[in-house]
Amino acid sequence: MKIVIAGAGGVGSHLANLLSREKHDIVLIDPDESKLEAPGSRLDLLTYNASATSIQTLKDAGAGTADLVIAVTTDASRNLTICMLSHTLGAKKTVARIDNAEYLNSRYQSYFKGMGIDSLIYPERLVAQEIADSMKMSWVRQSWEFHDGALELIGVKVRQNALILNQKLKDLGTNDLPFHVVAIKRRGRTLIPRGNDMILAGDLVYFMTMQKNLTQIHDLCGKEGYEEIRNITIIGGGEVAVQAAEVIPDHMAVKIIEINEDRAKQLTALVNDRIMVIHGDGRDMSLLVEEDIKKTQAFVALTGNAETNILACLAAKRMGVRKTVAMVSNFDYVDMAESLDIGTIINKKTVAAGHIYQMMLDADVYNLKRLTVSSADVVEFIAGPKARATNKEINDLDLPEGATIGGLVRNGEGILASGSTRIEEGDSVVVFCVDMDVKKLERFFN
Amino acid sequence: MLNFRLIAKILGSIVYIEMGLLFGCTLLAFFYEENDLESFILSTFVALGLGLLLNFAGRNALKVMSRRDGYMVVCLTWIVSTLVGMLPYLFSSEIPGFTNAFFESMSGVTSTGSTVMDNIESCPHALLFWRSLTQWIGGLGIILFTLALLPGISMGGNLRLFAAQCTGPLQMKVQPRIAGTAKWIFMVYLFLTVACAFCLFFWGHMNVFDSINHAFTCIGTGGFSTHQDSIAFYHSHAIEYILIIFMFLAGVNYNLLYFFGLRGKFKTLFKDTEFKWYTLFFVTVSLICALSLYLENGFSIEESLRASAFQVISLSTSTGYCSNDYMLWAPKLLPLLFLAMFIGGCSGSSAGGFKTIRVVMLQKLARNEIKKIMHPNAVFPLRISGQVIATPVKITLGAFTALYFATFFAGWLAFMFCGVPFEEAAVGSISCLSNMGPGLGSMGPVYSWNGLGLGAKWVASLLMFVGRLELLSVYVIFTRAFWKSSGV
Repeated sequence: MKIVIAGAGGVGSHLANLLSREKHDIVLIDPDESKLEAPGSRLDLLTYNASATSIQTLKDAGAGTADLVIAVTTDASRNLTICMLSHTLGAKKTVARIDNAEYLNSRYQSYFKGMGIDSLIYPERLVAQEIADSMKMSWVRQSWEFHDGALELIGVKVRQNALILNQKLKDLGTNDLPFHVVAIKRRGRTLIPRGNDMILAGDLVYFMTMQKNLTQIHDLCGKEGYEEIRNITIIGGGEVAVQAAEVIPDHMAVKIIEINEDRAKQLTALVNDRIMVIHGDGRDMSLLVEEDIKKTQAFVALTGNAETNILACLAAKRMGVRKTVAMVSNFDYVDMAESLDIGTIINKKTVAAGHIYQMMLDADVYNLKRLTVSSADVVEFIAGPKARATNKEINDLDLPEGATIGGLVRNGEGILASGSTRIEEGDSVVVFCVDMDVKKLERFFN
Repeated sequence: MLNFRLIAKILGSIVYIEMGLLFGCTLLAFFYEENDLESFILSTFVALGLGLLLNFAGRNALKVMSRRDGYMVVCLTWIVSTLVGMLPYLFSSEIPGFTNAFFESMSGVTSTGSTVMDNIESCPHALLFWRSLTQWIGGLGIILFTLALLPGISMGGNLRLFAAQCTGPLQMKVQPRIAGTAKWIFMVYLFLTVACAFCLFFWGHMNVFDSINHAFTCIGTGGFSTHQDSIAFYHSHAIEYILIIFMFLAGVNYNLLYFFGLRGKFKTLFKDTEFKWYTLFFVTVSLICALSLYLENGFSIEESLRASAFQVISLSTSTGYCSNDYMLWAPKLLPLLFLAMFIGGCSGSSAGGFKTIRVVMLQKLARNEIKKIMHPNAVFPLRISGQVIATPVKITLGAFTALYFATFFAGWLAFMFCGVPFEEAAVGSISCLSNMGPGLGSMGPVYSWNGLGLGAKWVASLLMFVGRLELLSVYVIFTRAFWKSSGV
């Protein structure tokens, strides 16, 4: 696939990184040469030092023959221009990053189609949505859906009180449990468990399951202590906070603490009445106590400063808040923050890039989907006719070490994989693997 | 620290490719039924053994290639290829002695074209073919050749390899992915070679063997011939004209040829600063030489034009074919010819030398500095093909120029220590450094380099190696920082 990415900022370069691993032909355009240096020397792609709003640039970069043009510069109107020009030049599909939720309204979708813009993404909105989702199932660290929810992948931190600890997985399996453990993250390492491995307290366990079984997993993991979230405290009143206030369900009460007085006043105009805006420093403990932090069930730190967010979440945890969410913009801090036990870590670039990536994959003709969960790859294969995988039961397939089949979707219905499951032609199979050349797996399904 | 396992693994793949080529030559030797069959069989097996050994050493290699690994691989690639390349020479004892065989092989893979062979006519066909083949592969660059043939070889690290062996100050990719770029450049290269062989066969009336061999060494800008007298052997106008055209093309940046030939972008070619200068230089120097030959050596107009064009393009693309001994020309032409030898072809081509683009950049820089004396506050950009060149590139250019001259002087000095006379040593040093081939006097176009002492041959081999990799890639390995784990 030929992909042109305009804008080598956080989202653009992260996307380039994701896509270049899969042998796409990528051209990355940015007028700032210093931004192109790192991706240009590290990744297998072509960089183009020019302004992407120039028609000549787009022509030279091959936007006319591109399968996909992604405009992710910081300026929304510039992104729209790039997409319109590329579409006119002949690009098959275009994606623009915007900063206005109004555009996302389905009523206006045809406007953008008419202009030649196929999809819009609004990173702040996506992050807000992610936060809202994590509020709904507060005991889950991360979750992904496959095939419109036919299969669900969730990451859960298990503690001493979980019921599935210290038993060999093959013994657990005899109880006919409604999930499949596909990966365990323990002390910073991700491992693909085999029958003899056990789940230990403190592990982050990834379950492949179906929506209807979530409550059962909830009980098995000993998460009864998690009360339903009714009160949320957000610190940092930026764009993400505004969007979050909009998408968080009405039955949850939200307080936003903003340090800048002018911004706090501005916020009152941006959010609706049920949101309380407080002018103050979110790091100030007495203020938090005064605002009843002990009675809130969730604490969300969304300031522009990753360090502040991490520390504030730690403090909130100490004060008894069960669910904390920190926005961390620095990639290097993400891993560290995860090990600090803060709950959910959200990175705007990953969310935005991941969204575009997913969108792209959905439209892709390849029978390969891929997403990265902690350090493991989740790959989705469509079993081809006469594929090796369809010959035998999963147990006898002899999959390479470090790979496991999580589940499969047959005719839109999710099926969990067990040793005796047999894959059929046309099934879409979700495979988990660590440190593996996906080609090795591909052989099984083609 | 260096990832030795990965390095070994990549070298292993490169040795396998050479083994394949050696096997091809074995078949050829079998076909010609000459006495070199055994030596090729032996060479193939030695290469196989070496490949297996390297692959074994590289088992379970971590697939992470650091910058250091990249440079190390590039340098070792040429050394290993030279060592494998010398095997047939050694085993067949056509070229006696380790030094001579190493010299000939290095001259081959760096596409230099100096030879120590005094008896080329009596040499078996397969061996001559091998000699030309090494130049063909070396001309494109072993790494690029490998990337084109085995795209998956270095697992994400090929970017670094590509960067480390690119010639010229500015990198240019024709396709977003390295593997694609390598493949297309290889296609251009292959097309030129086939076209050249075809022309030599049909219009030059060479036999099949000679035309393929000369196509290899012409497009690889190497200059090995299957005859002791080089191109002069044929006394054929057609052959000389054909070779003039193909040598000229081989000296042009392959990326440009790609845009020109495959995408039909004529404008790219004629807008390219380097191409314009390259053409201008070729035409001017050829005309001056032709005039001198016409007036002073009594050549006819056609003859003088042909001889001068052939010799000038042969020297400036660092091919080193000889149709007419330039030692017999008016001595005042020699500085011009050596300038051609020094400057070389375009960046990104198989030609060696200092590269036209660097001369152009230096010239423009110098002109800007002079203009600055009059307008101290003016900002003069350095523009190449319409693009403004950034300061770091200029600094690298300065460093490269300094190192180039330092290396040239070191080579000159080293040759003289080995007993080579003053002038011959100077020209020999340029000739080796720019992967040219012939030099002056006893190193001249009609002689072989066999008369040199052992020491001088090693000096020459080293200069060729350093020159082919454009100095910096080799010198970086000899810095202390390269070997320190947290080097500064």
